[in-house]
Amino acid sequence: MANRVKMVFSGLAKQFFRSPGSVFWTIAFPVMLILIFGAIFSGTGVSKYDLYVQDLDDSLVSGIYIDGLEATGVLNIHEVPVNEDVDAFIERNSVVNLLIIPAGFGQALTSGSEIEVTLRQDSTAGSSRAVLAAVNAVTQQANNEVTGGREVITVRSGSIVSEDLSFIDFFLPGTIGLMVMMIAVQSIVGYQTRFRNNGIFRKLATTPMNNAEWLSGMMLWMLVMVAISVAAIMVTGMLMYDVRMSLDLMAIAMIVVATGLFTAIGMIISQFVKDEEVAGTAAGAITFPMMFLSGSFFPLESMPEYLQAFAQVLPLTYVNNGLRDAMVYGNASGAMDNLLIVLVMAVAFIVVTVAISGWKKE
Amino acid sequence: MEDNVITVRGLVKRYQDLIAVDGVDLDVRSGEIFSILGPNGAGKTTTVEILECIRKATEGEVTILGHDLRTGGKEIRRQIGVLPQEFNAFDLLTVRENIAFFAGMYDRQADVDELISLVDLEHKRDTYFKNLSGGLKQRVGIAIAMVNDPRIVFLDEPTTGLDPGARREVWEVIRGLRAKGRTIILTTHYMEEAEVLSDRLAIMNQGKFIALGSPSEVVAQHGGGRTCVIRGGGEAAMRSLHDMGPERDGDDVSVRIVHKEDLVSIVTALNRDGVEYEEVMLKRPTLEDVFLKLTGKSIEGGEISG
Ligand SMILES: Nc1ncnc2c1ncn2[C@@H]1O[C@H](COP(=O)(O)OP(=O)(O)O)[C@@H](O)[C@H]1O
Ligand SMILES: [Mg+2]
Repeated sequence: MANRVKMVFSGLAKQFFRSPGSVFWTIAFPVMLILIFGAIFSGTGVSKYDLYVQDLDDSLVSGIYIDGLEATGVLNIHEVPVNEDVDAFIERNSVVNLLIIPAGFGQALTSGSEIEVTLRQDSTAGSSRAVLAAVNAVTQQANNEVTGGREVITVRSGSIVSEDLSFIDFFLPGTIGLMVMMIAVQSIVGYQTRFRNNGIFRKLATTPMNNAEWLSGMMLWMLVMVAISVAAIMVTGMLMYDVRMSLDLMAIAMIVVATGLFTAIGMIISQFVKDEEVAGTAAGAITFPMMFLSGSFFPLESMPEYLQAFAQVLPLTYVNNGLRDAMVYGNASGAMDNLLIVLVMAVAFIVVTVAISGWKKE
Repeated sequence: MEDNVITVRGLVKRYQDLIAVDGVDLDVRSGEIFSILGPNGAGKTTTVEILECIRKATEGEVTILGHDLRTGGKEIRRQIGVLPQEFNAFDLLTVRENIAFFAGMYDRQADVDELISLVDLEHKRDTYFKNLSGGLKQRVGIAIAMVNDPRIVFLDEPTTGLDPGARREVWEVIRGLRAKGRTIILTTHYMEEAEVLSDRLAIMNQGKFIALGSPSEVVAQHGGGRTCVIRGGGEAAMRSLHDMGPERDGDDVSVRIVHKEDLVSIVTALNRDGVEYEEVMLKRPTLEDVFLKLTGKSIEGGEISG
């Protein structure tokens, strides 16, 4: 038993390392993804960023402060009506940067007493750092002019999503989830159809090996491929973006369970589509929507309602959410909930796989 | 232990309304090369795959090495070796690694290096499978069929698609297996292969065995005796011999020899009528003639078409 599983594992491993295409796909692809998306979203170009401002003070002084913000040239200022509920407004308009100037702002400034403006940001958005820098600069200038440097106005930054996160923090776990899915589904579908068409399954069916052994060897090898890819992703994040995330036990558990889940999904696809090329297309048809709609690249919150609803039925959504809970937000209970959901899906799909994958049968 | 390693009685395999195997009876003797010769779709693969325990028979009794197929599958599997039709091993494993991979599936394993020399591939030991020629690939396949040191070896169309030279080399390897006391069951659609390689053969068509025996027995039984061919005899020979039921094929005329004296009568008649011809020859029937006669199928270059 153990020997047969080992043979399957090492046979697949040897072939993998002899195939430059597979190695590229597993290592270079996610690295490129991070570099490209990182460059796009962390770039501080000359483009303008939207800043919503709710001016509860509505005084001459606050007006001057807002003009100062506008004068930086990097901000497009949008006024939010005074009577708006900020939280509802943010949600309704997918706001990423919102500044609240409290009532009494002008009063405080003229009297020299301390006052706080609140900047709420979606820190996962690429613009967040630039906007914060602009607001800080204008505030500093106002402080200088009014009091000669004493900090009268302070900027309290509050987050819409979470604290102190950059786009890359959001993106890294998403890339891990994405790669787990891509590697498992694509490789399994590729292996299964190729080995079936080459008569290898017919040959194996005449040996003492059984389905469970085959599946175990495959899964073990998938875990190693995934581990290689995750390592490449983490190292790139650390070297290029100084990311300080760690893979805790919860994240590792999620990666393992998700690998099982997507391996089973790959097995099921290849059971129904026998032709190698068609199977590749089928695998793409299933992974492609998940790639974009499960929050790997873009926060689910920024998508239209109906797509958000659709995302709820995609397994990768829970993998991504769980990985972010564990790796980014330190939200252990959220991570556990997502892990359980993925575990249930994995068990269900594996049961279906074992029931229908009949490479032993005709 | 009796002499027959495989006995099959009344084997039937149905797919919905298609009958792929239609009442086959078969005894395979220990140590022989037994061929099943037939065109595509005859039911050869279905028959051997039932014996290999990877398809289930609809009806029939099968005993292999003393074990009933329905209850002894596990034991049978241990003692048989299989080369499936159109088998391709792992492309990016070497010859040696491929053989070792399949050997690793069994508890009882033959020595990998011995298998490599059995199929004469020492010089390609570390070559990736994908870089081998067709003939060498099939030899790797045969080595893989031998990894569990089986008593019976099933080879499903081991030479299909190979050029004649490569085919002959595979024959040598197969003869080598017989020399080591293995029983070999082979399927093919090449006439010559069945004729020169088999100890006994069956001709299969539309799910049925339509002839069975040693190549010479089958020819004697179904070949329809010898014929006399008058090459270049033409219309004149047809007229001269018309009492003897001549058949015309281009300018050649052939007459079946029923009695020894027929040959004399033919030559006498031709001389009497002053028929001009190139030569007179006596033809023994071949397996090809048997096949044509029994199935009505055409043959191109020794390979059954359609
Ligand atoms: N799994 C199957 N389902 C339905 N029909 C099949 C199946 N396998 C084989 N057949 C049919 O059975 C017949 C015999 O096929 P096969 O045994 O492969 O012939 P051969 O090996 O002699 O070429 C063919 O008509 C083929 O189409
Ligand atoms: Mg066949």
